[in-house]
Amino acid sequence: MATEVLWWIFASAIVAVSVGVVTARTVIHSAIFLILSLCGVGAMYIFLTVEFLALVQFLIYGGAVTVLILLALMLTRGGGTVTEKLNGPQAPFAAAAGVALLLILTTVAIDTAWPGDTDDLPDMITVTPISEGLFMDFGAPFVIASVVLLVALVGAIILARQEDD
Amino acid sequence: MVPLENYLVLSAILFSLGVYGVLARRNAVLILMSVELMLNAVSLNFVAFAAYLDPDKITGAIFAIFVITVAAAEVGLALAIVIRLFRNRATSNVDEAATMKW
Repeated sequence: MATEVLWWIFASAIVAVSVGVVTARTVIHSAIFLILSLCGVGAMYIFLTVEFLALVQFLIYGGAVTVLILLALMLTRGGGTVTEKLNGPQAPFAAAAGVALLLILTTVAIDTAWPGDTDDLPDMITVTPISEGLFMDFGAPFVIASVVLLVALVGAIILARQEDD
Repeated sequence: MVPLENYLVLSAILFSLGVYGVLARRNAVLILMSVELMLNAVSLNFVAFAAYLDPDKITGAIFAIFVITVAAAEVGLALAIVIRLFRNRATSNVDEAATMKW
C-alpha cells in the first residue's frame, strides 16, 4: 500500500517536471527540469526492482548527459540577454499531434490483454543475471555498441574541433 | 502492487510530451532534450514489460542498457553538430538553418 502511494507521488512528479521540460520559458530551466525527470525515471526503475539500471540511469543521465547538455546550452547562447521565442509558429499543431498520440497509446496500453501478465513483480533483479545476459547472450551487440560509442566520440571530436588556426 | 498498465500510461505520457517538444521547439538543444525524454519513455516501457511479462526478467533491462549507450553516443554527436552550427551560423535555431529548404 505504501509502495502504491509512493509510486503515485513519483509518477505525478515525473509528469509535472516533464511538462516543465517542454513548456519552460528559458532553456536553463528546461534543462534543470530534464535532470529531475531523468532521475524520476531512475526511481521508477527502483520500483521495478532493477536497481542496477537505476544506478546507471542516475550516473549516465543524471550526471554525464545533462552536464553535456548544459555545456552545449552555455556555448550556444548569443551573448547577453536572449529573449527570443523558444516555440515556433507550429506549436499548436505539435500539441494536437502529441495529444492524439497520447490518446492512441493510452487506449492501446489499457485495452490490450497482455499475455502472461501476472500483476506481480520479481523480488529483485540482481546484477548477476544482467551481466550474464549482457556478456553471454548479447555479447555481439555489446561489442558492436562499444564500436558505435568509439566512432561517435571520434566523430564528435572531429566535428567540434577548431579549424584553421 | 502497481499494475503494468500504470507504467505503460506513464511512459505514453512521457513519450507524447517528447513528441510535442520535438515538434514545437526551435532551439536544437531543446529538441535534443525532448528526444532524451522519448528515449527514457521507451526504456521505461522495456523494463516494465521485462519485469511483468518476461519469464527471464532481464532482456528488457539489457535493452535499456543499449538504449542508454546509444543515447549517450547520440547526445555527444548531436551537441558537436549544434556547436558547429552555432559557430558557422551564429544561431542554434533549426528554422534558421534552412539552406537546404526548397
